[in-house]
Amino acid sequence: MDYGIYQDKLTRIVSDIARSHSLWVLAYGTGCGAIEVPATMTSRYDAERLGVRGAATPRQADVLMITGYLTVKTLKRVIRVYEQMQDPKYVIGFGSCAINGGMYWDSYNTIKQLDLYLPVDVYISGCMPRPEAVLEGFAKLQEQIKAGEAIGATKYKENLDYYRGNQKKIIKNWDFPDYNW
Amino acid sequence: METFLGKIKDRISVNFDLEKSSIDIEKKRVDVQIRKEQIPSILRYMKENMSFRHLMHASVVDWLEEGKFEVIFMLWAPKEKIRVFVRTKLDRENPIMENLDMIWPQLNTYEREFKEMYGIEFTGLVAPEEFILEDWDGPPPMRRDFDTEAYAKDVFSERIGREDAQDVRETIAKRSGEVIPDFAKKHSR
Repeated sequence: MDYGIYQDKLTRIVSDIARSHSLWVLAYGTGCGAIEVPATMTSRYDAERLGVRGAATPRQADVLMITGYLTVKTLKRVIRVYEQMQDPKYVIGFGSCAINGGMYWDSYNTIKQLDLYLPVDVYISGCMPRPEAVLEGFAKLQEQIKAGEAIGATKYKENLDYYRGNQKKIIKNWDFPDYNW
Repeated sequence: METFLGKIKDRISVNFDLEKSSIDIEKKRVDVQIRKEQIPSILRYMKENMSFRHLMHASVVDWLEEGKFEVIFMLWAPKEKIRVFVRTKLDRENPIMENLDMIWPQLNTYEREFKEMYGIEFTGLVAPEEFILEDWDGPPPMRRDFDTEAYAKDVFSERIGREDAQDVRETIAKRSGEVIPDFAKKHSR
């Protein structure tokens, strides 16, 4: 009898549980929302009890938080950062600006639909979201990971043409390297 | 100190012909308007001969209706604690000024910003082409005739669900039966 398939499934379940309790957030703030992150991390709300902590470089990080408005100029950097991160990786859209442009709805350089350019796993609403909301977002992400639903990175690889097409529409001087995943 | 404040205008107007000038004794503020050809010499004179050593700020106002750009240099005398605003008006169609960053090196940054955000050209300015905006090929975005909303609609797609966005104040007033007076309606957002 071939136990391989059960073994794979078991490995996946165990590693998903492990992953969900070790979410390292890249210390990169795009907008004003980054100010809520220190409050979430420090002693009062203490996000580290959920396994959420900061990571210095993209290659060490699991979670990319888009904290607030995202300009076209920053989007270019964010895409580079996201593509440098290693699997498993998740994206959290943070605040109303990341959701639909927020108060920058008529700005000439702020994108209004983050999920056209990056696969977003969890959106946290609010302007700004309080640390409680941030923690709830992380709890939601943990649930998704445990259920095996946080597959944004896989979707990104599978539908790279779609995302690339959207990205190239607004980034004019395209100077990205070609990846061969 | 008051005497120095009173004399500033006279001392400037001896050397330069001012288009407009005003003085606020209480706020220790002098306001002069001058032709753009005299801007380099008046700034140098203010800095070297009149103790206005510090450039606080430089800014542009877009007078769309007049067809002018107004460039304002705000100077500060640290010892006497007096500020002087030096203004000049440029033609909006062809806004060209002389480069001034040999007087205060920090003007280089301001000039790059004016160039990018308003399209004001500075002859002799040595600086990289791009300042804040990256890969920008539209019109200078801080000009008042640049329609940001139309540009945003054109370039970025909008998420469905914002079309019925309501005026918060009006909606709450309607719900609670409150009457907003006419004069407050426009500014009630």
